[in-house]
Amino acid sequence: MAIVRLSGPHAETIAEAVAGKLPAVRTARLALFRDESGEPFDQGLILRFQAPASYTGENLVEFHCHGGAVPRQALVQRCVSLGARVAEPGEFSLRAFLNGRLDLAQAEAVADLIDADSGSAARAAMRSLQGDFSGRVAKLMAGLVDLRVLLEAAIDFPEEELDVLREYQVRERLQQALADVASVRESARLGRVLRDGIQVVLVGPPNVGKSSLLNRLAGETVAIVTDIPGTTRDTVRCELVLDGVPVHVTDTAGLRESSDPVERIGMERTRSAARGADVLLVMTEAGASAPRQNPEGLPPEALQIQVESKADLLPAEAASPPAGVLRVSAHTGHGLDALRQAILNAAGWREGAGEGLFLARQRHLDALDTACRHLATALEFEGPTVDLVAEELRLAHRSLEAVGGRMSADALLGEIFSRFCIGK
Amino acid sequence: MLYPERFEVIVVGGGHAGTEAALAAARMGSRTLLLTHNIETLGQMSCNPSIGGIGKGHLVREVDALGGAMALATDEAGIQFRTLNGSKGPAVRATRAQADRSLYKAAIRRRLETQQNLTLFQQAVEDLTLAGDRVTGVVTQLGIRFEADAVVLTTGTFLSGLVHVGLTNHPAGRAGDPACVGLAARLRELKLPVGRLKTGTPPRLDGRSIDFSVMEEQPGDDPVPVFSFMGTVAMHPRQLPCWITHTNAGTHELIRNSLDRSPMFSGVIEGVGPRYCPSIEDKVVRFSAKDSHQVFLEPEGLDTPEIYPNGISTSLPFDVQLAVVRSIRGLQNAHILRPGYAIEYDYFDPRGLHASLETRAIGGLFFAGQINGTTGYEEAAAQGLLAGVNAARAARNDAPWIPGRDQAYLGVLVDDLVTQGVTEPYRMFTSRAEYRLSLREDNADLRLTEAGRALGLVDDVRWARFEAKREAVSRERERLRNTWVNPRLTGAAALESLLGKVPAEAHRLDELLRRPGVDYAGLMGLEGVGPAVADAEVAFQVEVQVKYQGYIERQKDEVSRREQLESLWLPADLDYQAVRGLSVEVRQKLERHRPETLGQASRIDGMTPAAISLLLVHLKRGGGLAGNARLAGGTR
Repeated sequence: MAIVRLSGPHAETIAEAVAGKLPAVRTARLALFRDESGEPFDQGLILRFQAPASYTGENLVEFHCHGGAVPRQALVQRCVSLGARVAEPGEFSLRAFLNGRLDLAQAEAVADLIDADSGSAARAAMRSLQGDFSGRVAKLMAGLVDLRVLLEAAIDFPEEELDVLREYQVRERLQQALADVASVRESARLGRVLRDGIQVVLVGPPNVGKSSLLNRLAGETVAIVTDIPGTTRDTVRCELVLDGVPVHVTDTAGLRESSDPVERIGMERTRSAARGADVLLVMTEAGASAPRQNPEGLPPEALQIQVESKADLLPAEAASPPAGVLRVSAHTGHGLDALRQAILNAAGWREGAGEGLFLARQRHLDALDTACRHLATALEFEGPTVDLVAEELRLAHRSLEAVGGRMSADALLGEIFSRFCIGK
Repeated sequence: MLYPERFEVIVVGGGHAGTEAALAAARMGSRTLLLTHNIETLGQMSCNPSIGGIGKGHLVREVDALGGAMALATDEAGIQFRTLNGSKGPAVRATRAQADRSLYKAAIRRRLETQQNLTLFQQAVEDLTLAGDRVTGVVTQLGIRFEADAVVLTTGTFLSGLVHVGLTNHPAGRAGDPACVGLAARLRELKLPVGRLKTGTPPRLDGRSIDFSVMEEQPGDDPVPVFSFMGTVAMHPRQLPCWITHTNAGTHELIRNSLDRSPMFSGVIEGVGPRYCPSIEDKVVRFSAKDSHQVFLEPEGLDTPEIYPNGISTSLPFDVQLAVVRSIRGLQNAHILRPGYAIEYDYFDPRGLHASLETRAIGGLFFAGQINGTTGYEEAAAQGLLAGVNAARAARNDAPWIPGRDQAYLGVLVDDLVTQGVTEPYRMFTSRAEYRLSLREDNADLRLTEAGRALGLVDDVRWARFEAKREAVSRERERLRNTWVNPRLTGAAALESLLGKVPAEAHRLDELLRRPGVDYAGLMGLEGVGPAVADAEVAFQVEVQVKYQGYIERQKDEVSRREQLESLWLPADLDYQAVRGLSVEVRQKLERHRPETLGQASRIDGMTPAAISLLLVHLKRGGGLAGNARLAGGTR
């Protein structure tokens, strides 16, 4: 099965030329699809929607044809010869957005759906699309509006007989609002992990077995492995999916003193890859006498997992690794399940966390973060500073409006234009 | 006849808008004529004799910083002064005064009569004279023609005014005046969109028949606040208290039983009243769970027993008014001096104005005050001043002066009016100002005196005093920035009592002042830190500036981010049908409002960011951006 969709003022005329009489609006009908000479080339369903009650907000017709490349191509070409044009990526969603059928968060969810990396991500995108995320943010905003109403009333109507701040437990409400925003923020953060994946970077001295581990994790040979120290000169990447979460693993050149200019460039790339890591796997050789140390030039704040490689080479009676250190063998697969779990844990992923998440973008996270920060600041005030509490609430509210796509037009423009092709 | 002298600016109307407009234009050196139907009512407070309050006090201080009369006249006439929101932070603190009606009128009139370049004339205006779509002057009742380059209309509620008391109503006070009818007819010809609003007043009481002994006394503040930058407590006349009493269940019962005779509830009144100032019958119906409402008894003057019972504005029939009043504690024997009433009137949709308050339809014609759908003396005075300034500038072909939303409540006021229009009588509130922390009463002088000086509104005496204060503030801030407190040299006990604990390192004074709980006076009490500045105003300003610095800087960032939108001018003939993707609702709104800038468009109620993006895309595609550089350069 394939679906070919026509949207725009001429959708119905073109569809009629292909499939004859159109079904009533919002119903389907079985039809023969015919070429210029009137010969049928396929048979399928045709569905009709009329502006503005369609996905794009325009007149819209869908052909459900056979899925093979040949009938699909024939149908598209027939439509094009009748005046249609092939859509740009995301153009249907763009039109839906421009016609007010989607809000910005929903439009972005569609874009995410198109380039979602894994099944969980697609499900989360679907949830965003259905307005769950917008809905939860709208609820947060309603809570903030309630609070703002109270404070603004206290400020602008001081002669009324209300001690708003005490009577309406503004402080407790503020705490509640902060907790609510933080909870949506956590769902959104994990949603972003789903969308963008976890960046894992392997670092360690040369020949410690980083490339072997990468190959083992990927289940195929993506990095050249030799026993010559310094074989990996450049960063090598692979993609995997753990518990539905995309994980991008980067193998790097080993860090050591070297006069080889090529190897030194490779090590610089290592440091730069490590700086962008969500999780850093710091590898040492099991049983090696050298003390583990934080490799120089790496961000100490990156989440690190200490990994001892080549567990299979240890004598059976070897002592257990120190606490917090994972011992693995790329050769036998020993310890790899624990390592996979450790990676997910380090990124803040919990088992089954994929349910109930929203696919959030960095922009959403920033907005929720900002709102949290302002609410937290509002809670710090004591004494004669209602004006400042009100200001923090205004700022929190405003930052959420940027998520709902309702106010801050300016900041969103760049984002919209980078996603959708507008105004060449 | 044609009056022999020609004027640059004619102001029609002698209320709060008209007097500030005429004074401003004259201060700027324009030959100005103030036409009023009655010189005796110049500066009359026709409603509650109080000036200021939250948001309104801010406007009064701004008018003052621009050399206006309202604050000084209040200092000369105020019989009770209070600072509201004293404990809620400096940004929302506001001054409110009860004024003696006749002292206030006298203070305004004296200023009008001594103002250079200003001519007063008592005649009702019958008509405007036009040449094409420009105004050229006015014609009065006696047929006298006055010529001018610009005309400011501040005609208040005269358009189709209708007074209601119970179910009887009559055309408002000036109905017998043919000039008003003529002017109203002329204005209607201009096809400006007209709306209808309503406002009301309570019955006025004779203080001699009131038992104040059972009421709560509300004295003025001590020390007594001063309104004007140039004012002093010594200007104030004798001070009086106000009194507070309450309605009760019996009062409410009386009102509920009489609703069938209320013009509000029987559908006789069509105009929209202000939600923030409901009549007593409205309060009783809408908040039926509340069995008592506050009533403030405010004296109207030193030499009159007349009392304004604030909180029981009503249009119920007189017999109900009397029963309602007498059901209230302390008012059992009260005598009503004047019945309360509601008044309906027409206003012109302010979306027909430029931000300069010049009408879009007629060049050189400016509107200010209630005619634009606002309410309140302060809102009127602020608009009057702005219209006077821009009329004077228009007469000289200078570009208008338009204060920004980040600069003044005056800027918020006109921007709200011309972009949003009004749905009820517009009153200023601090929550309308997104840059509220920057727009304080205490810094109105610092925000506007310099602009006022450049416009020609501020005289030498005020300017010299302002410069001295500004200099003192900046010197003291500099000193706080450069003075360090070393915990090893300053007494530990004093530091601990001020800061809670002794800091480990040396700190700058301004850093310490920024801490919660630390105030300027306390800081200056530390050994070796003084001397403190002597002027309390300067000390307060320094303290607020230091404490708010972070917020003010953030608001400045916000302003500069918005500047791009504010400086993108939308062509006056922009075809919104040609902008792809706009919803019908948004398109209709844009066509109705015709915003002048993208910034204004973004503030129109219900505007979506998507719509603003589409407008921007349209402009960038060539639908008007080409002309923008010229426009933006030329008009601002």
